[in-house]
Amino acid sequence: MVMAGRQERVLTRKQRQSRRAYAVILPFFLYIAIWSLLPLVIGLLLGFTDFNALNGLPKWVGLKNFKTFFGSRDYIDLLIRQMWMGGLCLVANVVLSFLLALALNVKHPLRGFFRTSVYIPNIAAAAITSGVFIALLNPFNGGLNMFFKSLGMDPIIWNYSQFWMVFWIIVFFVWRSVGPAAIIWLGGLQSIDASLYEAAKVDGASKVQQVKYITIPGLRFISAYILLTGLIGVMQMFDVVMLISHGNPYGKTDVLMYRIYRDGVISFNMGMAGAASTVLGLVTVLIAFVAFFIISKGDNNE
Amino acid sequence: MNKVLRKTLKIVWVIGMLVLVVFMLYPFIYSFLGALNNKRDFGNMGTLLPIPKKAEFRNFLYAFSKTGIPPLINTFARTTWYTFWNVLVAIMLGYVMARYEFKGKKLFLIFIICSQVVPSVLTMIPSFVMMSKLPFFGGNNWMGMGGHGLINNPLVLYLPFGWGVLLWVFLFMQSMKSLPKDFEEAAEIDGCNFRLTLTKVVLPMQKPILAVIAANTALGTWNDWFTPFMYINRVKDSTLPAYIGMLATSLQEMSGDRDFPKLFGLSCISIIPPLLIFLFFQKYIIQGIASAGIKG
Repeated sequence: MVMAGRQERVLTRKQRQSRRAYAVILPFFLYIAIWSLLPLVIGLLLGFTDFNALNGLPKWVGLKNFKTFFGSRDYIDLLIRQMWMGGLCLVANVVLSFLLALALNVKHPLRGFFRTSVYIPNIAAAAITSGVFIALLNPFNGGLNMFFKSLGMDPIIWNYSQFWMVFWIIVFFVWRSVGPAAIIWLGGLQSIDASLYEAAKVDGASKVQQVKYITIPGLRFISAYILLTGLIGVMQMFDVVMLISHGNPYGKTDVLMYRIYRDGVISFNMGMAGAASTVLGLVTVLIAFVAFFIISKGDNNE
Repeated sequence: MNKVLRKTLKIVWVIGMLVLVVFMLYPFIYSFLGALNNKRDFGNMGTLLPIPKKAEFRNFLYAFSKTGIPPLINTFARTTWYTFWNVLVAIMLGYVMARYEFKGKKLFLIFIICSQVVPSVLTMIPSFVMMSKLPFFGGNNWMGMGGHGLINNPLVLYLPFGWGVLLWVFLFMQSMKSLPKDFEEAAEIDGCNFRLTLTKVVLPMQKPILAVIAANTALGTWNDWFTPFMYINRVKDSTLPAYIGMLATSLQEMSGDRDFPKLFGLSCISIIPPLLIFLFFQKYIIQGIASAGIKG
């Protein structure tokens, strides 16, 4: 009798809990689902339609948009450029932020000031700071070329050169995102147990050996995180391109994500934008999976 | 000898870092100096440091002019709104996820984690379509036809609430897990109801994580120039960073008015609130990034 009574009370408590949990979670979940899950579903269908969002209903056209995507060099070129330009931004950012984290991992009274300063570019939106770069890069009376002129050098027409536009896109990208990445690296560096280094020193390990056997294995998780999130980020990078180069010269710095934006939001060609989104999304997920697989495989070998 | 070497190394380090800091902060210095000029002087100047002959403060006041005030107010309103909701949702869902047992909990946790790695490209254009075809808004009928939905509608800055918040739910849940249940049980025995337990016992002990959520959301919302930029054309209904985005993208066009000092003046004003948030809550913002890195 006593046992049964207790069991019943336990049950009702559990039931009460789960009822309350649903009452809290479900409304929020449904609301979030409307704004996030529904677009995901719409997006998968959108690519199979011909749909001008200004007038008329979507018309089912099957694989037509995907055929356009893979049939013309245009979109494939943009996809490849998204990959290599994004890749350059990512590599530059990962390497430089790691070096920066090493430099910040020194005990000094000024360290806090330095750490704050390198982070500050990130707290201003990209749109707010890009104007400075455009003003400096004006080929005729921009700050940089006038400075070169005063040194007796020839001015460089930045806007007409793919190399220089890509270069400045990378500079702007890294300038904005090197701070946060360095902070994450720094957190990883500082989470490595200092006694490991002491023990290595006692055993007579050199600085290089310490880095190889303690620092790098200790940072495996952090580096996986930085690489994966960075990868997903740069595969969708286009605000930087839009602000710094507009895809110029002659579309030679244009990337797929920027084209998707223009197809959809400016020319209202939703079907094509949807198909390209699906392809880019799947490629991103695929690359992230491969990267994850390589990283975790390296983990097992240790 | 070793001591001398160490000392020189330290000096080299300080000098190197100072050079880096100058490089990192240079665009801000340039904006500030640029904003002190008028349009014509700035256009002819072409230097790395546009120091004005005669400083003008007119450009900073653009943000408080008839055109500048509405976006400024909108930015404040939007930031407050989303900060409030993100904190509230993170507390509610995070608490329930950490403390309650219910069917489907694991599934929801998987959903939370998966939602954080979905590439945003998959939702950008479909969201735009959905906003334009949302039934009953902006002259749309129940089929979503006939009007323009939430496009150019100020409500688009306040209604959408996606799964970005789930990151904060996750962090609050993790933070709850490191808090022993004893406090809440004691409060319950003392007769506290659910709401009292949460507000009087749990939340005061969770202040640090709440600061992390609030500071990061406020910063993120203020700096989200792209959402208003994409959905809203009228400056009056937009936000200040989005207005600056409109000016910045028109710099590339030949027809744009290319008023750099005005742009810099607006930028200088628009960076003050995030800068203050960052300087005051630096510890929490950095903790937010670091913990997202370590736990994510």
